[in-house]
Amino acid sequence: MVRAMQPGGRGGEPSPTGLADVIEIILDQGLVIDAYLRLSLVGIEVLTIDARIVVASVDTYLRFAEAVSRLDISREKEGLPGLVGDSQHSSAIRKTKGVLREMGDRLREFAESESLPASGRLRSREGY
Amino acid sequence: MAAPAAPEGARGLGQSACYVYGIVPADVDRTGDVRGVGDPPARVQLVRHGGLGALVSAVDLPGRLGTPEDLQAHAQILDATAVEVPVLPLQFGTVMATEEAVAGELLAVYQEAFAAALKQFEGRAQYVVKGRYVEQAVLAEALEEIPEAARLREQIRGKNPAATRQARIRLGEIINNAITAKRAADTRALGEVAAPCCVAGVVREPTHELDAVHVALLVETSRRDDLEQALSDLASDWEGRIGIRLLGPMAPYDFTTTSMLQAPHTRNHQATMHDLRALESPRPNA
Repeated sequence: MVRAMQPGGRGGEPSPTGLADVIEIILDQGLVIDAYLRLSLVGIEVLTIDARIVVASVDTYLRFAEAVSRLDISREKEGLPGLVGDSQHSSAIRKTKGVLREMGDRLREFAESESLPASGRLRSREGY
Repeated sequence: MAAPAAPEGARGLGQSACYVYGIVPADVDRTGDVRGVGDPPARVQLVRHGGLGALVSAVDLPGRLGTPEDLQAHAQILDATAVEVPVLPLQFGTVMATEEAVAGELLAVYQEAFAAALKQFEGRAQYVVKGRYVEQAVLAEALEEIPEAARLREQIRGKNPAATRQARIRLGEIINNAITAKRAADTRALGEVAAPCCVAGVVREPTHELDAVHVALLVETSRRDDLEQALSDLASDWEGRIGIRLLGPMAPYDFTTTSMLQAPHTRNHQATMHDLRALESPRPNA
């Protein structure tokens, strides 16, 4: 059963795995109040963390190639029945329409179709 | 806000500012003894104005924010709040000068927009679904499906890596492209499974090269069991191939958009809701 778990946990010590989830989830998300409202903020420094972005590189390719060359296909087939060559499954997936992508796109379209308020003081940094 | 008495040196100027976590309805119960960001963390309080409240806590000046404890406190406070009441999360690191500024320059200025946006999150919370490919399984799939990959694999096996570098790069690129395509297909499959339980969904960027799915979902509180069941069924289908985790309920980080805060008295807002409701079930012509 897949059970929902809050990433930050509750009441306990910060855990490394929980932290990774928290960073991923809150990074660059949420409403942003810009400098106009923060004008008197001398003295607070917010440490920023670079988002982890997956950029395929030659290193990635070489790592995949190494993993593939080590792969014991015959054992994989025994160990993971129904996974290899399950073309019916793959085609079923391909047939499905991009419902979720569509939902995201629609939200994006909506966001883009809106102009910022004249004051421009509130914005979101969702990258839409 | 009065500067707290502070041990010498520990609090620098001895002044404090006001960290803002998020916006909530004003009738929220007091937050009890929850500790916020900063070192030492201060108690989280509610600043009210009109029908709105802002969750805040004092932070010392000068100060630095961004430790693991700060990030988790920010998320925990917003997520715990989102379980009980609608909340608009502000970005991590939002600090204003005083509680008066929070009331007068934030809550008062955006009162209508905040109130309307909060209504959209009434009885709803965000969940994040993360799925990771089982490496051996996804590699085996790619080899099975792509003849060139299988051929290149034979070409490099047992050979000197330096001598077969170009073939290795080509093979890795093919695998990477295959995973990218599978990610798109599996994300669509997840969307189809999750859509009936969700108000809206957003696809998030992958954060690992073996990420299979990474999406944020806005879900009615009453549909949580349905979502867990739907994802459990999907997890069974994907067993041995993709491991999935469901995170939440949490504050609606991915759904709190600038457009929500505009012109709450106009049709824009209703258009948003109409738009979202239309997505509750998969549309045959989508």
